Amino acid sequence: MFPIIHLGPLAIQTPSLILLLAAWLGIWSSERESMRRGLPGGAIANLGTFAALGGLLGARLGYALLNRSSYAADPLSIFSLTPSALEPAAGLGTALIVGVIYGQRRKLPLRGALDALAPGIAVLGIGLALANLASGDGYGAPARLPWSIFLWGVDRHPSEVYELLGALAVLALWYWASRQALPPGVTFLLVVAASALVRLFLEAFRGDSALLPGGFRLGQVIALLALAACFFLAGRWSREGEQARSTQMEGPS
Amino acid sequence: MTKITTESVLRLLCDRRRWFVVALVVLALGSGWTWFSRAPTPGASSGVVSPREGFLAPDFTLKTLDGQMTSLSAQRSKVVVINLWASWCGPCRAEMPAIQKVYASERERGLTVLAVNGTFQDSATNASAFAQQYGLSFPILLDTDGRVSRMYLLSALPSTYIVDRRGIVRAVVIGGPMSEAFVRSKVEPLLQEAP
Repeated sequence: MFPIIHLGPLAIQTPSLILLLAAWLGIWSSERESMRRGLPGGAIANLGTFAALGGLLGARLGYALLNRSSYAADPLSIFSLTPSALEPAAGLGTALIVGVIYGQRRKLPLRGALDALAPGIAVLGIGLALANLASGDGYGAPARLPWSIFLWGVDRHPSEVYELLGALAVLALWYWASRQALPPGVTFLLVVAASALVRLFLEAFRGDSALLPGGFRLGQVIALLALAACFFLAGRWSREGEQARSTQMEGPS
Repeated sequence: MTKITTESVLRLLCDRRRWFVVALVVLALGSGWTWFSRAPTPGASSGVVSPREGFLAPDFTLKTLDGQMTSLSAQRSKVVVINLWASWCGPCRAEMPAIQKVYASERERGLTVLAVNGTFQDSATNASAFAQQYGLSFPILLDTDGRVSRMYLLSALPSTYIVDRRGIVRAVVIGGPMSEAFVRSKVEPLLQEAP
């Protein structure tokens, strides 16, 4: 665990630095992929940047809305520098909306743009696992195993390491899929489905899962829903893609 | 070993029946795993002492600026804001008035603040001058040997730990400054919980 790097008088939060680097690397890799797929230069990088900024704004507004009684007396606090005053779900939702609006305005093909975003998602997964490894967040459930790590008072599953391995596997899958002639959008769906499978399996070893009634883990339930959506869309988009390809091959009669 | 080719993947994806069966099997296995791996207890961290969300807050006893001994365990049944600070730290200066305002308005509802000065890297004189300058009415504790800072794995100033009435850390804020609204948003739900 290296939560803080001290550079002279500066104390830099390692997890934030890792996430920042992962976001930059993710946008860069997505931009490269978009060029390879023939999308307009700069479009994906701009989409990522606008989505990130929108997400940040949405996360702060979401936090203020959820805690409106606290912010009502001092609404200008919304603009304060407090870095923790963010609501992740609101941020993600806003980032998606901003991304869709930007994509429509630039007339980007939805499925092609999603495929271009796939490596960015895989890289972000690796960044998140490394950030957790640095901070000790996302810690595992107590377990006495030969490979357990002593963290936060007890021996635990090294769930941060599991998740790093899972994220690397997702990146490897993306690399394989991006070299295949798959119909538009399917590479993205494969990456999302693989990420959901990794979450579904590894969440069971976490010691900090958000729980639903009955002890169900929220992360697993969301992963199951994402997986179901990916299965549905992957089948549909593949059939549509193949139909379009065979129509093209037949040519104008 | 069968090599996975683009054609074989596409054939599987485009064959409605086979794809449906694959989806059904994976989702059924996933649902089974979700059921099997339900969390056995409300909190896996219950009973363990650590300065992290969901864990019991490490207890400490320190001398205050006015010479009295104060401990965290004596505050049980109150919501406690533990703020680790130093007089030379800019963000600490920026957020202390916000903490004071929230304390002044919520102390009757069971809020207390333990402002732990890192005296091992500051001084009691500076801490006292700081408290007077900002009109702080909550106890200022002196961590003269850095024991509490080490116990709370202090990595940056200010660091704030918000502890509920049962002594469990419910929020950790590393760095600052915290705004008044943010402090309120963190303590308000805990104040509403039954003692």
